Amino acid sequence: MDDREEVKSVLEHLPLVQAPDAIWTSIEAALDEHRSPARRQWQWGFAAVAVSALLVVGYWTVGHRTGQWIETDSKSRTTLRIGEIGFVEIEPGTRVRVPATQPGEHRLTLARGEIRAKISAPPRLFFVDTASGTAIDLGCEYTLSDDELGLGLLQVTKGWVSFQWKGVESLVPAGASCRTYPKIGPGIPYFDDASQRLKDALGNDAIDVILAESRVRDTLTLWHLLQRVPAEERARVYDRIAALTPVPDGVSRDKALRLDPETLKLWKDELAWKW
Amino acid sequence: MVDLIDRQISAEIVAACRAGDRDAFRALYDLYKDRVYSIAHYFLHGDPAAASDVTQQVFLKLMTHIADFRGEAEFSTWLYRLVVNACMDAGRRRKSDEVASERSHLEMFADPASQEDDYARTQVANSVRAAVSALPPKFRIAVLLRYFEDLSYEEMAKALHCSMGTVASRLSRGHRMLAERLKGLKYG
Repeated sequence: MDDREEVKSVLEHLPLVQAPDAIWTSIEAALDEHRSPARRQWQWGFAAVAVSALLVVGYWTVGHRTGQWIETDSKSRTTLRIGEIGFVEIEPGTRVRVPATQPGEHRLTLARGEIRAKISAPPRLFFVDTASGTAIDLGCEYTLSDDELGLGLLQVTKGWVSFQWKGVESLVPAGASCRTYPKIGPGIPYFDDASQRLKDALGNDAIDVILAESRVRDTLTLWHLLQRVPAEERARVYDRIAALTPVPDGVSRDKALRLDPETLKLWKDELAWKW
Repeated sequence: MVDLIDRQISAEIVAACRAGDRDAFRALYDLYKDRVYSIAHYFLHGDPAAASDVTQQVFLKLMTHIADFRGEAEFSTWLYRLVVNACMDAGRRRKSDEVASERSHLEMFADPASQEDDYARTQVANSVRAAVSALPPKFRIAVLLRYFEDLSYEEMAKALHCSMGTVASRLSRGHRMLAERLKGLKYG
């Protein structure tokens, strides 16, 4: 008996559960409402900031006004529709640009300020370039801010975001954040509910404190830390992760300490269920 | 379970949905709603409100952004990823993902309509539900996807954002956990 048949023999006692009729009613109401707020946001943007609104209108109706900068003043905000895959809310004091776009790809450049992206699409369709690197949407909602020095903060509220710069990558899941640095790239991600001591220690490279303060969930931080610390420190990080949660089959200590890519990916895939 | 006919129909419906056909949206919803709801229902320990929220969220996302999708295979993968993400997010938002005590958990799953059925069969069904609910989230979602959606390992790997080897491992371990928990239970 193969595994599918084995599952069936057990789970045939789990009947299909009929979805309540009220769900469709709620969906329809939400779909109808969805069409209206977009128009209201466009109209508000037009009234509030003339230049930005014109660019938004151009973006909306013509497609991409490539190369155009969109800038909000200290009191205004506006919304960009990203094709059919979502929206980006541009907060006050923000400057973004819509560069040339490839088919099947949507990009923004964030020069400074804050944006909130709500994207629902297959992964790697929406990108935001900053001075610190590129945020790659993996199907999510997130906030990305960047100051004039290029120091930034990525906060993910749904799904995942990959932030990359020259081969350095941080994977940031929902409920986690990651600082970004110009010419350095993404920092080590951490959960927003991690201890303040742990968060402060990340900024100070205080490995002892990071290890001592970490919980099972903070293996997100530790997995990234393993790849960033000097080689002589990796064993301590490995041992801490192993103490928090069993190391899965296929992840050898030796390969992990050598940062074998396949080993690290396998370990991450298992740890991710705790993140 | 999804059969070939279902998949062919859904490809046509997807095309109509992309053109903004609300009736096509409804047909697409009707095609998948019970399976999506069932996965959410069993994943979230039989909580109907949570399962409804997840189902609504999945289909809203699907319907508001469907124009961006190019083919039936990609649509299916996206649907299942939406289901996985929504279930996992909902599970994290719950104060505790721990299974309630056996007694209260069985009460949560108790189906009033089954009171007229044979008591033994009802108990078996409740035991199976409780056993699935007791699985760690990563094994639970894998088992439910495999059973309700009949996905291949490759499709599951895309939905779960992991390797096929990991899919196989989780299914294998999930099955063993179920078998251990249900040891001695007679199904017939």
